[in-house]
Amino acid sequence: MPKVLVPTVCPYCASGCGFYIAVEKDRATGIEYMPEHPASDGALCSKGNAALEVLYHEDRLRYPLKRKGDGWARISWDEALDLVARGLGGALKEYGPKRVGFLASSKCTNEEDYLIEKMARCLGSPNVDNCARLCHAPSVVGLNRTLGAAGMTNPIPDLANSKCVFIIGSNLAENHPVLSRWIHRAKDAGAVVIVADPRLTHTAWMADIFLQIKPGTDVALLNGMAHVIIKEGLIDNDFISRWTRGYEDLVQAVKDYTPEKVSEITGVSAGDIVRAARAYAISPASAIVYSMGITQHTTGTDNVQAIANLSLISGHIGRPGTGVMPLRGQNNVQGACDVGALAEFYPGYRKADDPETAKFFSKEWGTNLLPVGKGLTATEMIDAAASGQIKAMYIVGEDPANSDSRSNYTREALENLDFLVVQDIFMTATAQLADVVLPASVWAEKEGTFTSTERRVQWSHKAIDPPGEAMSDLQIVCNVARRLGLDFNYSGAAEVLSEINRLVPQYGGITRERLNGSGLIWPCPNVEHPGTPILHSQGFKLKDNRATIVPVQYRPPAEDASWEYPFILTTGRLAVHHNAGSMTRRSPSLIEREPDLFVEINTADAAKLRIADGDEVVITTPRGETTALARLTDRVKRGVAFMPFHFPGTNILTSEARDEEAKIPEFKVSACKISRRD
Amino acid sequence: MPVYVDISRCIGCRSCEVACKRVHDGKGHVNVHFAGDHASVPIFCHHCEEATCTMACFTGALSKDGERTAFSVDKCTGCGLCRLACPFGVVWTDKLAHKCDLCAGRETPTCILTCPANALSTDFELASKRARARAAMAAAQGGRR
Repeated sequence: MPKVLVPTVCPYCASGCGFYIAVEKDRATGIEYMPEHPASDGALCSKGNAALEVLYHEDRLRYPLKRKGDGWARISWDEALDLVARGLGGALKEYGPKRVGFLASSKCTNEEDYLIEKMARCLGSPNVDNCARLCHAPSVVGLNRTLGAAGMTNPIPDLANSKCVFIIGSNLAENHPVLSRWIHRAKDAGAVVIVADPRLTHTAWMADIFLQIKPGTDVALLNGMAHVIIKEGLIDNDFISRWTRGYEDLVQAVKDYTPEKVSEITGVSAGDIVRAARAYAISPASAIVYSMGITQHTTGTDNVQAIANLSLISGHIGRPGTGVMPLRGQNNVQGACDVGALAEFYPGYRKADDPETAKFFSKEWGTNLLPVGKGLTATEMIDAAASGQIKAMYIVGEDPANSDSRSNYTREALENLDFLVVQDIFMTATAQLADVVLPASVWAEKEGTFTSTERRVQWSHKAIDPPGEAMSDLQIVCNVARRLGLDFNYSGAAEVLSEINRLVPQYGGITRERLNGSGLIWPCPNVEHPGTPILHSQGFKLKDNRATIVPVQYRPPAEDASWEYPFILTTGRLAVHHNAGSMTRRSPSLIEREPDLFVEINTADAAKLRIADGDEVVITTPRGETTALARLTDRVKRGVAFMPFHFPGTNILTSEARDEEAKIPEFKVSACKISRRD
Repeated sequence: MPVYVDISRCIGCRSCEVACKRVHDGKGHVNVHFAGDHASVPIFCHHCEEATCTMACFTGALSKDGERTAFSVDKCTGCGLCRLACPFGVVWTDKLAHKCDLCAGRETPTCILTCPANALSTDFELASKRARARAAMAAAQGGRR
């Protein structure tokens, strides 16, 4: 049989890189690059190059399993679906739908997430969420409030048109490597690159101005820059008066953030703050790129709003080369939010607490059970499971036992459930706690759409069949829903997409037929519409078409270094690993490059603690302790330690403190102590 | 036609390592070296003009083929002299020798295609061209900020 090249979308980060899977005799045998792809331009990072390694991994779940004593027993699909229907259905009947929780997956397709969310709500449960809660929930809240739309305002390749790229709280060189090609292109054309990060990351190597801030002081830095821009008259007066409201309040709010004062808070020199502010404001087109370093804080929403303020007063939005660019972490976390797998939003960001929304979807979905009001978020569901308020959960393609903060507590909470069903491709730490485990498919074994961080909706084709009796998540969800008495008869992803086209206005024109090339960028309201690569070029989707400047004040993080816990622990990602690591830790060519959990400690701190490079050290926080190998470096300042979160140990340590509005835990700042293990 | 590195662009993502290994059946010929906390550079065969590995190889398995330092696996005895002779440590012997073959059979070496930052190319001048462009732009804009 000849070799067939199947176009697909990379399953790792949200850059949405395309490549071809070479298929011979129904087996995926290789990767070919896709030079015609608009975002990746033919490139692929280490994870993308290793993507096929998980397909035939021996750990893949091949059959439905049920818990039997301490082990697992293989069961038939029929029995598995019966057990799930009995477990979930029993809890629904006995305790009511509000005491059942659903987690959709930001690794699944839009169609699958849409069905999970529809199933949850048609069963009467408002509790459906996805792991966007742990990454960009503050962007959804903050950007919707200030700009009227949550998403990257400009596409990835547009970074090349920028004259100043301000990267804050994002290590994109390791986490979204293909973006660096566009930023380097901008640099060659004369752009200034500013990087703000507590670590001297690989991204910082690109910087002309590097601001090494103390973790959790982003609002102070951003307000300080706004202060300089206002004081030196570098604001865009025309833009402010034409397109914004609330500017006067901001002037008052940032009055006291002098560079000297901000320098004391952030640890960055006053001169660098002024230089960065000037470079950002006076360039003809400046973009702000940010990621988890901004959102994973108790002040996450404030951080996002401070970023939006900066871009609004400088008028750097709505044109090529400008914009506010939240970089998403997972291949379809943008899409999962768009199709309504969020506790506070129905599909298309219709507010869950608006009775009109429930009325609209009741009619469309032909049910009168739809819940009105916000459901529990992913993090709140764990609390509710711990307190016994949530009795049963259905978790699809997520690993909260590894990826939530203070994971020991999360594990106990999940153990406390009466019934837990997990649908995944590997036996993750969460699946270990389940009553029933359903074997699902990876991206290459199914078809459907993924929405990348630049809002690009792309069709990913099926290349191979799932292993054993594993099924696509879409088939599994439909089967479960039918057992629970819902009318879920979909022939495939294309049929579900046409329902999404009808119900999600932004996706109105993104039909299956139009998705054969490199995809479409939402909003795309009808089939003639070419898509909208640049948002806000004709005003904002808020009152009077004006953006809202929401002043914010600096609040210190929930935890600070103390006598007992003298270090600030911050977390992040590595180039060769991805999120909770269930896939990358099983990829031989990735795990061999970073096999162990490590902690970066400043050389001077390590000397005082008598720790040498490579020593086993114990890191302790009030939540628990973990062992890691010490890596001595000057990448982090004194008093700061860094750990990657791809290994189970890290999130044992992280803080439970949350952002009030977005409910995101403060992964990025935990006070800890470090000692050598003797 | 060796592969040249623009060190100012390397982001240490190790894509070239993984991609090289992927297309060479599990034996990669690139190592990304980290220079402290401040830079990284992929290290692989330079295809030297006066290649010491070819001088050491007594069977002629390693030989110059134009700009390329070619390797013919059939003639290799696995003696390891090439590994000792290479001043850059980019020829390996596990039973038989292996080194960068500029992806024989492919139009462009895989590392060049996969590099997310466009740090690799076959154009010797590219890195200096880019540096000149940046300097010129900076001068036109009134100096570095």
